[in-house]
Amino acid sequence: MKKLWRCHVCNDVHLGNKPPEVCPTCGAKNAFVLSDLGEALDIIGKDHASLDDQAKVQAAWKQFSDQSSTVRLTDKAEEVELLSKGVLENLKGKGQRYCPCRITTGDRGKDLNLICPCNFIRQPTFKEEGECWCGLFVKRDAQ
Amino acid sequence: MSGTRLIWFHGKECPHCRKLAPVVDQFEAETGIKLERLEVWHNEENAKLMRSLADTIAPACGGDLGVPAFYNEVTGKAICGRIDMAKLVAWAKG
Ligand code: SF4
Repeated sequence: MKKLWRCHVCNDVHLGNKPPEVCPTCGAKNAFVLSDLGEALDIIGKDHASLDDQAKVQAAWKQFSDQSSTVRLTDKAEEVELLSKGVLENLKGKGQRYCPCRITTGDRGKDLNLICPCNFIRQPTFKEEGECWCGLFVKRDAQ
Repeated sequence: MSGTRLIWFHGKECPHCRKLAPVVDQFEAETGIKLERLEVWHNEENAKLMRSLADTIAPACGGDLGVPAFYNEVTGKAICGRIDMAKLVAWAKG
């Protein structure tokens, strides 16, 4: 099971099997110490913007796309529009921004894999046709 | 699952389902065969039925329960994903 870690220099919080060697926020080396849920939640606080409208969801997808040299958001604006509406419907109805083209199973571990963007690199449609199951993200050299 | 229905599981906000709708309309007009259209994100009963068929549908979708998915209650066969008219006819006719 993944553990919570805290950078003792800048209070960056990390959830993972191992502490990061270099803090991505302050650059300190070997600075992470084991934390726990109470401490981590205190650090995280409650004043973060929710991704609860289409513009915010699309901005998050764009950031994800812009940082990648291998995948990008599709050029098909009407599909981005429809899918962003879909993930928000699923947020409202099922509690998370789940993929509009799969369904939840009721198993929390499996359903966490359906939050968009999912790990679509492993999908057959990505391997064979260069796009995620819904066609939202495509290989950079495709389309 | 016993029955005689030809079921199309689809999602209201799934782009491939939306693109497929005219193909399904055409299929119904040309063959006279009617599909039962069951939406799975806004109707929990439909989602439950789809989950109960996971053993057949998920492999056809490449592992997950995905839409668009088609399930033939007579033959017990499922197809899923990028579907065209030829695949639809083959599936419906068993
Ligand atoms: S298949 Fe595409 S649209 Fe669906 S969750 Fe994965 S990345 Fe998002």
